[in-house]
Amino acid sequence: MITTRRELIRAGAGSLIVASVLGPSISFGMMPMHHKGRMLPPSKKPRVVIVGGGWAGVTTAKHLIKKLKDKVDVVLIEKRKIFMSCPISNVWLGGLVEMDFLMHDFQTPASKYGYTFINATVTEINRHKRRVYTNHGYVDYDYLVLAPGIRYNYEAWFGKDREMARICATHFPSAFIPGAEHVALKRKIENFEEGTFVLIVPPPPHRCPPAPYERAAMIAHVFKKNGVKGKLIILDPKKEIKPKGKGFKSAYDQLYKGLVEYVPNAKIKEVDPIKKVIKTTAGDFRFDDGNLNPPHQAGDLVWLAGLVNPKTGWCDVDPLTLQSKKDPRIFVAGDSASVKGFPKSGDMAHNHSQNMLVNALVAIISGKDPYSAVRAPTNTCYSMVNGNPKEAIVINVLYDIDRKKKAPKKKKVNVENKRSKSLATATFEWARALYRDMFS
Amino acid sequence: MRRRDFLKGCAYLSACSLLLPSFIFAYNGRPLKRYTRALLVWGDGRPVKPREIKPDEEYIFFYPFRATPCILVNTHQRLGEVRLHLEDGTEYIWNGGIGPGKSIVAFVAICTHQLSYPTRQRTLISYHPPGKRSSLIGRDKVIQCCAHMSAFDPTKGGKVLEGPAKDPLPAVILAEDKGKVYAEAVLGKDLFEEFFDVYRKDLRKEYGSSRKAKERVDRCVVNPIRKYAREVIKC
Repeated sequence: MITTRRELIRAGAGSLIVASVLGPSISFGMMPMHHKGRMLPPSKKPRVVIVGGGWAGVTTAKHLIKKLKDKVDVVLIEKRKIFMSCPISNVWLGGLVEMDFLMHDFQTPASKYGYTFINATVTEINRHKRRVYTNHGYVDYDYLVLAPGIRYNYEAWFGKDREMARICATHFPSAFIPGAEHVALKRKIENFEEGTFVLIVPPPPHRCPPAPYERAAMIAHVFKKNGVKGKLIILDPKKEIKPKGKGFKSAYDQLYKGLVEYVPNAKIKEVDPIKKVIKTTAGDFRFDDGNLNPPHQAGDLVWLAGLVNPKTGWCDVDPLTLQSKKDPRIFVAGDSASVKGFPKSGDMAHNHSQNMLVNALVAIISGKDPYSAVRAPTNTCYSMVNGNPKEAIVINVLYDIDRKKKAPKKKKVNVENKRSKSLATATFEWARALYRDMFS
Repeated sequence: MRRRDFLKGCAYLSACSLLLPSFIFAYNGRPLKRYTRALLVWGDGRPVKPREIKPDEEYIFFYPFRATPCILVNTHQRLGEVRLHLEDGTEYIWNGGIGPGKSIVAFVAICTHQLSYPTRQRTLISYHPPGKRSSLIGRDKVIQCCAHMSAFDPTKGGKVLEGPAKDPLPAVILAEDKGKVYAEAVLGKDLFEEFFDVYRKDLRKEYGSSRKAKERVDRCVVNPIRKYAREVIKC
């Protein structure tokens, strides 16, 4: 909460760091545009403002209003014009699905379920006034849900050298945040003819733990199809592939033999996007092209709101209600929240938003105990490992709620590392069903 | 029926949409909806006899509407009453199986989690008979949806065993009459309105129009699911 001049300056400095890390991709200015005025009339009902229309935000908006109906005023603010799904984007990179499979609109669910959708960029969050400023005006809230996903921490590689971060992001885009970077990466993969293509696995915790390995399989599938003379090197800071290690390993060994080289214990020491050299704890690697993925951190908005634990780069939240530990009026959903045992995945964002955050918030608004309202989530994560024929592997984790400790705990882990066509079919239905839930 | 129960029934009736049949029965708050009584027949038109329903086979039929799939299984075990509840707290009692061994049951084959259902191309929701365990979750005697791994117990009225589903699979109330089998009602969460809404485009393609997809049936052709769906996905 910004209450003193000093805090205001500190918040400003925080924004500066955000700006320095993200370079040109930053979408909000330093100066809030207060003059644009109130965007919505005051609400007689409790107003929940959700910022971030990703998997967590869209799920929260729908299920909150479905549960509380006319007892709540739900507002979803999102800066993008269109939703693009990060889950299944690797499958799209592999050429196995059309882009329209990933794309969805915000208007249909807002219209159907009766929440307000505002297409605007948040420029400031004033926790004291409970007010969110955007480039089109401000909105007051009773409860705020922040679901900004992740941001790239290029600072971990380049320090304060913003120019190098910009060069790296432009020439070797990460594509862990959906958008033009994905299009750029796909072009790279399809155009690659020979040499070394490198893929850096970010250090944990990062968005979607199996995603880099799935991406490697999809890139290898394209290379194999195109008869690429060269190899794909996976630089992993971990000592082994996790999760679904056996499934990925056997796909690399059996389907892409000689094409994929997996290098464990390769912690990044230095990345030079100009000379195209990566120095790691497992040796130095020259590359011709690549997908250079820097470490991930909580998304910009939660930094802007001063809710991030600077030691971890993520938001500390109540592990059951997802309430911020720094402000009980604010909930953090999706990848920005740090909950022990929860992966940062689309399925988990959907699951914890629906079963934990929404139920807790409904209870709070209804004057009931939030802890007894939350339900245990599950997390299902398919990974496509073959493109011809389409074959996938899967992990499914069931959680329980430890009511005494007020925390979730893993109950059962189901893994299928034997790739199959059936699981590939299930992968698409997994996605279709969740898109249906959020957007139809 | 007490006055309170009668009023509850009235409230239930008034809350129902156009989709619902003209005859609705909500005794003691039970989420039971009666539809047109429909005779179960085989593909050649012969009425299905309970003894003909094989234990290791899973069958599909469409009830109460032309487009709403249901799964029929002979669990090979005598099944009695089970008390269940919906996520919203509504409690209800499922009466168990029918047939000579009281082992035959039917459920709406639409996953209560995210509405996955069998199509002619494929089904991700299917039954694992005794001894044929799901490779992923290690259970048999379950109806499992491989989209998000919800597993339901057909011997316990469709109760959720594991996975993200919160509501039991809705049960189709079957009745045996003079050696024939009839579907009469659906007990549990009402998924149909949402089903018709989210699959409008797919159903129009399959049935010609939403209106045709929503036609109520009085005869249900029963087929082994493997003959209906080109791909039966087990996981």
